[in-house]
Amino acid sequence: MPTEPQNDTTALAHGIDSPMSPVVATPFSGPPELPPSSLPLRSILGLFLAMGKPLVSFTLTLLGALLLVQLLLWAAPGDPVDLVPNGESMRSALEQEWGLDKSPARRYWSFVTRALRGDLGYSLTFRPGAQVLSLMTPAALRSLQVLLPALVLVMPMGLGLAWFTAGHTRLSRRPIQALSVTPVFLMAFMVVHLANETTFTLMEAGRISRPDWFALPDTDSWLKLLLSILILAVGSGSLAEVHAACENEIRRVRNSTFLDAAKARGASVWPHLLPNLVGPLSAVASSRVVFLMGGLIIVEKVMHLNGVGAMLWQACLMRDYPVALGITVLAAATVAGTRLLADILRVAVDPRLREIP
Amino acid sequence: MKTSLLLHATALATLSMPAFAGTLRYAEDQAPGIVNPIFSTSMPETRLNELIFEGLYTDNQELMSVPCLAESAEVSEDRTEMLIHLRQDVSWHDGERFTAQDVVFTIEAMKDRNTLSPELGRVSWIKKAEIVDDYTVKLRFDRPEARPEDKLLFKILPAHGFDGTTVKRTDSFRNNPIGTGPYRLVRYNDDNSISMERWLDHRNPAHLDQITMREVSDKNYQAKLLVYESLESLVRVLPRDLAVLQNNRKVELYPYQTNSWWYLGFNLNEEPYNNIDFRRAIAHLVDVDTLLAPIGTGDILTGPYVKSSPFYNHDVPEWTHDPDLAAMYLEQAGFTMEGDQWMDGDEPLRITITAHQALESSQEVVINLQSQLQSAGIQVDVGFLDEATWKARVWRERDFELILSQWTFDRNEDILDQFHKGGSRNFTGFSNADVDKLLELARETTDPQEKKTSLREAHRIIHDELPMVFLWTLDSYAALSTRVGSVVIHPFYFFTYVGDWTMD
Repeated sequence: MPTEPQNDTTALAHGIDSPMSPVVATPFSGPPELPPSSLPLRSILGLFLAMGKPLVSFTLTLLGALLLVQLLLWAAPGDPVDLVPNGESMRSALEQEWGLDKSPARRYWSFVTRALRGDLGYSLTFRPGAQVLSLMTPAALRSLQVLLPALVLVMPMGLGLAWFTAGHTRLSRRPIQALSVTPVFLMAFMVVHLANETTFTLMEAGRISRPDWFALPDTDSWLKLLLSILILAVGSGSLAEVHAACENEIRRVRNSTFLDAAKARGASVWPHLLPNLVGPLSAVASSRVVFLMGGLIIVEKVMHLNGVGAMLWQACLMRDYPVALGITVLAAATVAGTRLLADILRVAVDPRLREIP
Repeated sequence: MKTSLLLHATALATLSMPAFAGTLRYAEDQAPGIVNPIFSTSMPETRLNELIFEGLYTDNQELMSVPCLAESAEVSEDRTEMLIHLRQDVSWHDGERFTAQDVVFTIEAMKDRNTLSPELGRVSWIKKAEIVDDYTVKLRFDRPEARPEDKLLFKILPAHGFDGTTVKRTDSFRNNPIGTGPYRLVRYNDDNSISMERWLDHRNPAHLDQITMREVSDKNYQAKLLVYESLESLVRVLPRDLAVLQNNRKVELYPYQTNSWWYLGFNLNEEPYNNIDFRRAIAHLVDVDTLLAPIGTGDILTGPYVKSSPFYNHDVPEWTHDPDLAAMYLEQAGFTMEGDQWMDGDEPLRITITAHQALESSQEVVINLQSQLQSAGIQVDVGFLDEATWKARVWRERDFELILSQWTFDRNEDILDQFHKGGSRNFTGFSNADVDKLLELARETTDPQEKKTSLREAHRIIHDELPMVFLWTLDSYAALSTRVGSVVIHPFYFFTYVGDWTMD
């Protein structure tokens, strides 16, 4: 939660650069001491006030996403009864059993209240009768095996590449952009096809024996998982965006006055550089989660990963409202949760954000 | 001595068993959602049920009904009652004995209105089912039945697996099924595949050790996996993959005939489709041979049966591709030609063709059809709908003009729902009193000859009335690894004869 710095000296002393802070080449002298009485209480209160808005935002994001998906599903032609053979002859009974006879507003409220009790209902058409939570949990864990490493991987990859390209011309970005701009589905198809055809040719020629992972993406293997993570981390512009954001931040921090001051004192620049990168990088990471989750649906479909992305796709096609809504809650919570985490991180590293106005 | 005898007995028992070997992996583009035959909604579920469950009767290789869980039966003289004697050597996958109670339970559960089974129609003709003794069941019918055994192919469920006759989709049976079939479900895997192993206590144990259903949602990739030896069986080969598989020495193709046909259906409640002249014009404009050639081989049809059906009327002629005749019919229907464009009043004549996007090769057919009609001077819009939208727009709301689709039937080939005025699947809005009577007669008669004559006459009238342009039945091919032997395929249920399949 960005607030204007109240104490420029403190900000500079902590090595926090901000467009709002005046450019004063004050010698770096370490953090000043605050009055002892103000420390714990003011910090806790400041943290609470700083976190209030993100928490409200988290809740509203969840409710808003749920409402949006509910409205989209309601507006989409067809319903689960349409997908049951001879469903028309049982329409009223099925609608009653599945709660489709209620208005969208009542359905929404009913879903929210049940979800608060941990009951997401049961699947109507995707896996008829199965509890949504029991369907979702293993699928979510499988998705997490790809999503989390992809997120963790793309940040140091972007930062590392940015570190080298930050001082060079824009041309140095081009290869990274060219690779990263490839859509994930195309990248996945190309990788799978290349790996399979090459291996099959070598197998047929008797050069190699059948590898454990063959054939992609049908057989579960470490290679399939690794490729999925890499494709998600790099494709659809993920790496390019993280790289560009990191590069901008590195340039900005390298040109900052407090770094000059630190250099003038002969101190190491890293303790000042890294905290300055935490805020922007956490913001980039939280913003990338949304895109990575979008890409995850495609990667899961192409790479035959039985995660929540593929499940959401199928649930929407089959108008399985409870499954689609359950995954929406999970996806919205992940996105909003990541944003919340990023805010917490920024508040934790930036003392100005904990100041009480 | 005792040990020696025991070993000897074991050796004999082993010798008398068939040679078991191998795991057969087959592909489905969508994993079954539920493993309970009375809630089946898709062909992948139907095929899985064929492995796990059994019916009172089944099809032999000539597609005649033969006893399965039934041993013998007697039908009363007036053909309204049937006494079925059940096999006494059948046990469920959990070890319980199969009895008459299971048969009566299954029928009552399907008929129970609270069960909400989409399979209700399969037992609605049975008025009552009674237990006579542990291994005898008496069925009473609503009306005389010519061949009741042909309708007793539905799968039997274990009564001890449920509480009461109201079966719910949420019952734990949905993923812990208990059947009497040659395979029992062992586990659901993380990759959506389902593993089954042969049921050792089956009266005729299958030869293959295990069968695994693999979900491969990309149909284009299924043939590749067979070539890569990651699968042993494809249920249906896409026409474009035929050449590749035909030339592969590790793959064998098995042709089979399905009761499935393609059609162009008109919405008879809308103008100008309610005009017979307009429909005739379209029928003469469609070059069926040219549409069929790019997507495979098959028989061109003139009515709602495949050519091998006893009900197909071979005297009915095809609608020839004749643009001149089509032009005459369009003029009769009130359209005028301006330049190279047919006009509907002041506006160009424009129609919309809609197809189900999951119908294999439908895009190719629709695009070629669009081209054919446009070159004849009719503007054509096309649309492809997903399953739910299709069912809502076409089936429920009848919101379409011209559709490309296909019907697939089981062995009974009952077209009443599609062409009777009150038929639940008659979404073209076809209505003809003579056809209604003929279809009703065919359902009710106990005389096979009368049924055949009625349905052939219905075929002729439907062809002439033209609620749809009948296109073709495609030749279907299954593909299996050459490691799999003794393969015979059922055209509808696929795995009916899987017990005889072997593997090197």
